[in-house]
Amino acid sequence: MSSTLIFLCAGSVLWLMGLHGLARLHHPIRRIMAINIMGSGTFMVMIALANRGEHSDPVLHALVVTGLVVAVSATAFALRLAVAISAHKSGKQQAPEPNE
Amino acid sequence: MTLALASLLIPLATALLLLFLRSRAGAWVIIASLLSLIVAGLALAEVVAHGTQTLAIGGWDTPLGIRFELNLLSALLLTFTALVHLLVAVYAERSRHSQTRDTDYWPLSCLLHGSLAALWLSRDLFNWYVTLELLGLVAVAMIIISGPKAYGPALRYLLLSLAASLCYLLGVALLYGRYGVLDIDLLATMIDANHTTRLALLLMTLGLMLKAALWPLHLWLPAAHASAPTAVSALLSALVVKGPLFILWMLWSRMAPVEVAQPAGLLFALAGIVALLAGGWAALRTPFLKTLVAYSTVAQLGYALLALGLLLRWQQTELSAALWLFVLAHGLAKVSMFLAAGEMQATLGSKRVSSLKGATQTMPIAMFAFAVAGGSLIGLPPSGGFVAKWVLLQPLLADPVHWPWALGVLLGTLASAAYVFRVVALAFDRADPNPPNYNPDAFAQWLALLPALVVWGMALYSEPLILWLTEVNR
Repeated sequence: MSSTLIFLCAGSVLWLMGLHGLARLHHPIRRIMAINIMGSGTFMVMIALANRGEHSDPVLHALVVTGLVVAVSATAFALRLAVAISAHKSGKQQAPEPNE
Repeated sequence: MTLALASLLIPLATALLLLFLRSRAGAWVIIASLLSLIVAGLALAEVVAHGTQTLAIGGWDTPLGIRFELNLLSALLLTFTALVHLLVAVYAERSRHSQTRDTDYWPLSCLLHGSLAALWLSRDLFNWYVTLELLGLVAVAMIIISGPKAYGPALRYLLLSLAASLCYLLGVALLYGRYGVLDIDLLATMIDANHTTRLALLLMTLGLMLKAALWPLHLWLPAAHASAPTAVSALLSALVVKGPLFILWMLWSRMAPVEVAQPAGLLFALAGIVALLAGGWAALRTPFLKTLVAYSTVAQLGYALLALGLLLRWQQTELSAALWLFVLAHGLAKVSMFLAAGEMQATLGSKRVSSLKGATQTMPIAMFAFAVAGGSLIGLPPSGGFVAKWVLLQPLLADPVHWPWALGVLLGTLASAAYVFRVVALAFDRADPNPPNYNPDAFAQWLALLPALVVWGMALYSEPLILWLTEVNR
């Protein structure tokens, strides 16, 4: 039971750290990383809850796998968007558009 | 149930088809939305005749499998979603000013339709998480269609939406860890008011309120909705914020224990009143037209929040009818308002409210659409907004103890009247009208008027609507 408790606490701490980072940081890449830390915290809580009894709970494992797929695709999308923003900013600095 | 599934699968299949087939995308989407609307209407008729139906997906029963349930509300929302998609698709295809003609708008709008349909039918906490993520990702992808200026608000929306989903997911994990089921009706039979339940409900509620832009977590909405292309703004305001609201309503009215729900209801109701006033005030002050319409969404969601709060506080299921009537009336009125605003903004060549000076002369139909939709938002009879407000006010006026809440509704009504009349009064200032940059597109303006007429038509069908929506919780 104690290892479950350690993982539960660690997961909650990670989740809170991610939330704190999201609220305090401004750089897009750092904020995306903060979201990922939050996600890892959530998944850690779920895995810890799955391994409480004699047999681990396959439903929670399935949920974590689905959650990981969602997290990976959302991260990819967010990174692409962050790259587009920085490309747009640097492009604007080099050649200011006439109608801006 | 087959019909409802078809209403989900038609847009989904169309979205996948459109990834390969790029030509005539608009026509395909219109046909798909029309088919989906017909099928959803038939599903509604079936539910009215035979009652609620359920489907265990893949033949797996709960607690292991995922359950779909088609009740009156789900069928009504399916029909509503398909109707809004159809109206917006026709506008996006035919308007000269829509920036969506040859873009990824078409497959994305179909995906949005499919994810919403799945959300209305699901009764499983984790399945809702997946539909929420789909909804958020598709909404962000649709915002960035309008170009680099929208990237900033879109990224902010995406990050907040992901954080909100994780908040919700942690709540789901806690509930599953405590009770071992994910189906909402099974949970409702097992749940009791302990610390885990309270914490899980708090986390899920915060996540959903952020996603639904309910006050005080609404700050991302105006920038995101105002920077999107017109057709997308209409879909976002009319439909996307209503998805999380549906889950929130389900959680609290079906699942939450009464001793937790009653104090929470008071907070919801107070937040609703503040949303009405703060959103109305911001809409009155903003210099930009689309931001005004977006803040009006924040304010109007206050009515839904107030109805939810009072429903929980007094455990009166009739107030569900008020909540969903507000959602339907607001959705249709907001489509009309955004389309009219987008059309006027593109034709008059400025994003500012002040450019609408004399718009009743230069763009009479679009301005009429804006005013008619605004009339429903204010709640003038006989519009859909009036019916919703009537249903909400009946229990408030019945007992003198509840009159302070009625005063809140009155203040909210005044606030919405103020920002609608701010625009309408300016548009009637014909002394020195702002000349249009282009020849106004009359057909697109008529299309903008159509949803506003539907919302006024809702009043004609108010009796069956109220009856159906009152039965939803029984």
